[in-house]
Formats: sequence, C-alpha cells, structure tokens
Amino acid sequence: MYLAELLAGGLAIGCVYSLVALGFAMIMRATSIIHFAQGELLMLGSMSGLSTLWLLPKLPAVAVLICGMVASGILAVAMEFLVYRPLRLRRVALMNVITATVGMSILCINAARLLWGSEPLRYPELFSTSAYRIAGVPVSPQLVWIMAFGVVLMGLLQLFLKRTRTGLVMQAVAQDAEVAQLMGANLTRMMLYTFAIAGMMAGAAGVMFGSLFFSFFEMGFLLGIKGFVAATLGGLGSLAGAMLGGILFGLIETFSAVYVSSAYKDAIGMVLLIAILLFLPSGLVGLWKARG
Amino acid sequence: MPEALLEAAGLSRRFGGLAAVDAVDLRVERGAIHGLIGPNGAGKTTLLNLIAGALAVTRGTVSFRGADITRWDAARRAQAGIRRTFQNLKLFAEMSALENASIGLHAGTHAGIFAALARTPAQRAEEERIFARARRALEFVGLGGDAGVAAGKLPYGHRRLLEIARAFVAEPALILLDEPAAGLNQTEAANLSRLIGRIRDAGCTVVLVEHHMDVVMSVCDQVTVLNYGRKLAEGRPAEIQRDAQVIEAYLGRGDAPPSKHALA
Amino acid sequence: MESARLKRSLTGIVLLALAALPLFEPHQFVLHMLSLVAISATAALGLQLLLGFSGQLSIGQAAFYGIGAYASGLLSAKLGMPFIVAFFAAGVIAAVVSLVMVPITRLTGAALAVATLGFSILVYLVLKNEEWLTGGSFGLMGIPRASLFGYVLAKPTYAYLLCVAVAAGVYLSLLRLQRSRFGRAINAIRQNEDAARACGVKVTLLKSQCFVIAAFVAGLAGSLYAHQVRYLAPTDFTFWKSVEILIMVVIGGMGSLFGAVLGAAVVVLVPEVLREVGDYRMLIFGAILMVVMLFGEGGIAGFLEQCLRPFSKPRA
Repeated sequence: MYLAELLAGGLAIGCVYSLVALGFAMIMRATSIIHFAQGELLMLGSMSGLSTLWLLPKLPAVAVLICGMVASGILAVAMEFLVYRPLRLRRVALMNVITATVGMSILCINAARLLWGSEPLRYPELFSTSAYRIAGVPVSPQLVWIMAFGVVLMGLLQLFLKRTRTGLVMQAVAQDAEVAQLMGANLTRMMLYTFAIAGMMAGAAGVMFGSLFFSFFEMGFLLGIKGFVAATLGGLGSLAGAMLGGILFGLIETFSAVYVSSAYKDAIGMVLLIAILLFLPSGLVGLWKARG
Repeated sequence: MPEALLEAAGLSRRFGGLAAVDAVDLRVERGAIHGLIGPNGAGKTTLLNLIAGALAVTRGTVSFRGADITRWDAARRAQAGIRRTFQNLKLFAEMSALENASIGLHAGTHAGIFAALARTPAQRAEEERIFARARRALEFVGLGGDAGVAAGKLPYGHRRLLEIARAFVAEPALILLDEPAAGLNQTEAANLSRLIGRIRDAGCTVVLVEHHMDVVMSVCDQVTVLNYGRKLAEGRPAEIQRDAQVIEAYLGRGDAPPSKHALA
Repeated sequence: MESARLKRSLTGIVLLALAALPLFEPHQFVLHMLSLVAISATAALGLQLLLGFSGQLSIGQAAFYGIGAYASGLLSAKLGMPFIVAFFAAGVIAAVVSLVMVPITRLTGAALAVATLGFSILVYLVLKNEEWLTGGSFGLMGIPRASLFGYVLAKPTYAYLLCVAVAAGVYLSLLRLQRSRFGRAINAIRQNEDAARACGVKVTLLKSQCFVIAAFVAGLAGSLYAHQVRYLAPTDFTFWKSVEILIMVVIGGMGSLFGAVLGAAVVVLVPEVLREVGDYRMLIFGAILMVVMLFGEGGIAGFLEQCLRPFSKPRA
C-alpha cells in the first residue's frame, strides 16, 4: 500500500532529522550556540562511509555506519578543540561565534568539494532489494533498517546520558556549568564529549541518508537546516523535543510533498521554521510545559 | 489625599512557584526620595523592574501620574518620564560618555531617518541641543572631564555616575536608582548622597534601592522595607531603624541591621 | 589631524580617484570588474547597516538582492519601463517584501540568522520554480542596459560611473545616518538592548527600519547587477550569495562603512587576480571568516585604523 510506504519513508527520514536535531540540541544546551556546521558533520559521515565502502566493498552496513560515525566524531572534536574553544576562551561575542561557525561550514563544504568532487555519489546496495513484509505490507528494507538504526542509536544515547557517570556529568554541565565545575566536572572534556556525540549522531544520519538517496558535498546544508527546524519544532535545547521534532517533521515533509507540492518540498521546512520561530519559539515541548 | 506620583497596588511577580514580589503596595509622593531596602533576595530589584516595565507583573497594578501603566512596556514608560539605572551597569561600552548620555535624550527628540539624510537645519539644531544637554548632565554628576572617554574605559565609580547621568539627562519625573552605591567607598558614597539630593532639587522624584545604609538614612524621606517579597515596614528612616521586625529580618539573615549604621 | 577629518579627506580622495579612473582608458574588463565591485559594495553596505550598526545577523540579503535584480530586469525587459523607474522600483519592491519579514526582528542572535536563512531559501525556490514569471532555471534574458533620460549607457565607462555613483550615494547616506540620532540609537541597541529600551528607544521599530533599509539598498544593488550582466539565473541568488555578502562585511570590518567597500573589493577581485586561487576561493574565505572572528572583528578597516592611529587625534 502506498500509504504504508509513505509512512515508512516519513519515519525513516524523520530518524535522520532526529539524529541531526539531537546534535543541535546537545550543543545548544552546552554552549548556547547554534552550530551552523552541524550539517557538515552529517555530510562528512556520509562521505566517509562511502569512501570506506569503496575501499572495502563487502563491509556490512553496521560497520559502515560506525566508520561514518567515527569520522564525524573526530571532525566535531577537532572543530571544538581548534576553533570553538579558543573562541570561548577569548570571550568572543555570541554574534561572532555564530559567524565563525558559518565560516566553519563554508570551509567544510568546500574542502569536501575538493576531496570528493561536485557530482552526487551513489551508495552501493547495502541491503537486500526484495521488500520485507511487515503486517502483510511490503516495505523497502532500506527504510526498515534506517528506522532500526535510528531507534537503537537514540536509545543508546538516552542510556548513556541517564545511566553512565559521564553521561550524567554531561547533563549536569549542560544545566549549570559553573556548579558542575565546582563539583569536579572537567568542563573541557565534557565539551569534547558533547561535540563528539553530536558529531557521531550526525555522521550516522549521513550514512543513513546517503544509503537512502545519495551523497554530495552540499548535502549537509539543507539537511542541517532541516535538522534545525526539527530541533526548533520540538523545542530548542530539549533532547526529547529534538527526537520528537525530527520524526514529526519527517512525516510532515514527506506527506506534504505528495499532497501539496513536490517542487516546494524544501520550502515546507523553511515556512515551518519561520512560523515556529515567530509563534512558538519554545517548540512543542514548551507548549507541553505551559499546559502543566 | 493628593495623588501620588507613583502608586503600586497589590503588585506581585511569580517565577514558577516562587513569589519574588508578593502583593506589595507602594506609594511614592512627588518630590520624595523613597528608599527601598531589605535583606538580600527580598525582591527589591524585582520590584524596581516591575515599576520600570522591564518585567511583566503577575498580579496588581502600577499607576503613574494617575494613569494605569501596568501594560506599558519599558520604552513607553521611559518616554512618559520614568528612567532607571541598572544594578550591574548597562552602559554602551564602545560609546563615549557624552554619547551614552545623549541616548537618554532619544525619547524626547524627533529627527528620524529622512531628517538625518537631509540634514535639515531643524535636525542640526536638535543635534546641538542634544549634545549641549548631555554635556550639562555629565557636568551635573561630576563627569565633565570624561565626555570623550569611551564608557568601557572609565573607572568603576565614574561608570556608576554615567548611568545616573544617562537616566537624569531627560529630567524625568521619576528616576529609579538600582544600588547606585554598590562598590563605592565612603567618600564616593557621600558624594552620591549629595548628588541624589541635587537630583531631587532639580525636580525629580527618586526611588532608591540600596544596601549602603549611610546613603539610605541620609537622603531618604520615606523608606519601604521588603522581606521575602512582602512589605515588612514603611516609614521615615529613623522609625525604620528602630522597628523590631526590621531588625529581626536583618539579624535573622546574618546581615547587619540598619541601626548599626550611623545616621549621617 | 583629527580622526574624523582624516577619514573624510581619505574618502574624498578615493571617490575622486574612482571617478577619474576612466580618464586613463583602462581595459573594458577592468571597468566591468570594478562595476561589479561597486555593485557588491552597495549590497555589503546594506548589510553593514544591519549587522555592523544594529547588530542583526542576517544571512538572507541575497533574497532582496535577487528580488531587486529580477524586478528591475522584468520591469525593463518585459514591460519596457525606463531604467530609472525600474531601478527605484526594484529597491521599493525589495523593501516591501522585507516588511513580511519584519516580525522576525523580534528575534535575536542565531534565531534571527536562521530565520533570514530560511527566507533566503524560500525566495530562491520561488525564483527557481515560478517559470512563468522568472523564466525559472532557464533564466531571464535580454535585459537592456541601464539608461538615463533616454540615453543608453552603452559604453562600459558610463555603466561604471553609474555603479560608482550609486555606491557612493549609499555610502554617504549611511554615513549621515551613522552620525545621527538614528545611528546612535541603533548603535546603542547593538551594544545593550535592555539599556536602550530603558532610555525610551523603540527597539523593535528601529531594528525593523534597519531591515527595510538594508533590503532597499540590496534591491538597488540587484537592479544594477541585472543591467550590468543582462542575464539572470536563480543560481546567482542562493544562500551562497548571502554568505558572500556576509564575508565582505566581516573581512572588511564589522561596523565600518569603508570596510564594507574594501571587503567587497577583496571578495570580487582577489579570485580574479589570483586565478589559481579560484577553486579554493570559498575555502579560503571560510577560513578567513573564522580567523577574523578569533582575532577581533575589526577586519581590514580595523587594521588600517590601528595603523593610522598615531597620526590622528580623537574627537572630544
């Protein structure tokens, strides 16, 4: 059934958006900056996964995912260590930090163009081509695997944050850095972890998206913005909001593209973004909290 | 009873479950210097912010010159004649002291974009008037020599004076001073007391939030004491110093009560 | 010599030099490139008002640049309107469209930046998809050259002088604004919004006014661009154009009008001068953006000011 395929598509892309949104949310909570280069972390993960596949064509999907995640994680840590941290230490104004992240974004995109060229690149088949049957309905295995990966990753993240010591310290730092530091948290290290995780989430999203569609040097731009729309929809700074916002936005976008207009598919996200910023700045989570 | 310049009735401000200001009534008479004191966390600055329009009220009303200004925003109140200084100094650091003061005159002046582009004689005359008044305000607080210095480069005491100059330059009907003596030494505090007196003599009514008891006791006509967001006592400085509840409030918090400070 | 007088003298000298340039009969290509510099400088000056003066980070100026370009192109090519009408109409149309975005001036910091970004993308999508209006991806062709009072500016010299005149006009106007009550107020808003409000400054109104002016100026620049290159494609007005304009302002120096012009010159000319750099252009600019942010936002203009400081006396 067509509807089921649409639903699966929406959920799958929603998982991609959720992962990017999570990165935005984590970095926002820890540093109050909107990380413009988040999309580029996705792109690098996607490209790295692809390059790994070129080198080792028989590699299973999970391994490709991990390679992409590792590459993005490393890049994210490099960004924080080489650029963002010095900016913070110099107490540079927020506007300038944001401008610097824009610069980082431009740098990454153009470096990628030089390294991988400007043509879109296809991922080789990672999953079987015959459709799975779920409840009697044929669904592309691609979509199923992406949803599975997405859910597992998000679940692992929640476990990490709530059950491990490092995760709890990270949460403490996000809530109140000064107090956390007084209690012995190593801020520098926690920041690096935050960026590493945000990077890995984005990298995973990149591999997932690449395997579903294709990879190219500018892919991070629009996907990054959409991830931001998702994060804002859910409620900037809220992790639960980021996950919810991602899934929701994925569904909205997929269904609108079919029933409203496909040429303006990207416009849906932009209009939604502006509308949220203007009328519901604290997102759905904010709405929920206001009721309670 | 003659109409007070400023009246707050049942003013409350809640943050979630916490009442920072709880059903406070305040009456500030024209030409008075009205002090607002209380232990740390009593809600003094919050109350000031409610009066200035920097914070929205949860409950209650504020009236100024008989008009209900509860829904007015900060800029509108400033235009109507309520000016303020900030506890933690909000100067325009990159601008000179003179320019800082001139911003205080923005509300009463009119030259807009087109007048600025055309440089009409009226616009040029207005600019001269603005800077003349700004210079006078600086001299009034004692910063005449610092006119060209960037605000961020001024010593601390001068920066506090500049905030006051910026608030005073428009000769507002009501001026709200938020801990103007914070960090000042004895001499500077005494100068400040005299300055506040001169501000009142110039025709402004003053509401003063302050911890520095020498200043409060020496200049204020009326003092309102807050504790835990509620009005604890009100009266003349001498009465307040002797009020048992007030002493209790300060002692219970570990702060020195007002009577420990000499009457100037 | 007093700092302000020094600057004014320098500005006068530069303007004179630019106006006199055609006397030396430079190559057509040089004039074309300088015209593009003047056009970009105009757009950058608009952003400088928005970002450098009032502190609003907008990365969507290309939207108004594009709207101005297409408006002017369509009005003159399809409706046969004279250039002057199309030129000012372009500015006005861009300004009117920016009114739609005025509610976002309530936002600050990154939220504002992203909102302008989203708007820029929206405009690009409209330019690309509405083929009946803009020609879509095929572009808009056959835009006539600029003309004044019926006289077509066929020679590159005249087109060049027109572009420089517009850039100079915008520059001088913004200079006047900067030194006025309006300029002081928006400067105050940038440095401390709360304090400005407490002084009676109508913050949202002034921020919106800056937004509209910047859009108007970008629209004018777009019009000049349309009549200079005489062919428009939506790909000229993507987000990257907005970023390019941002780079001009940042490299030149935030808050400096002269810097915006310098930045425009650098961004437009350097890739031409250093051909090998061409491919790495954006890469280098991205890096420069980060470096300038790390080491102070003064940019080139700030650097020059430091050099000139021993020779000038501040105004009391």
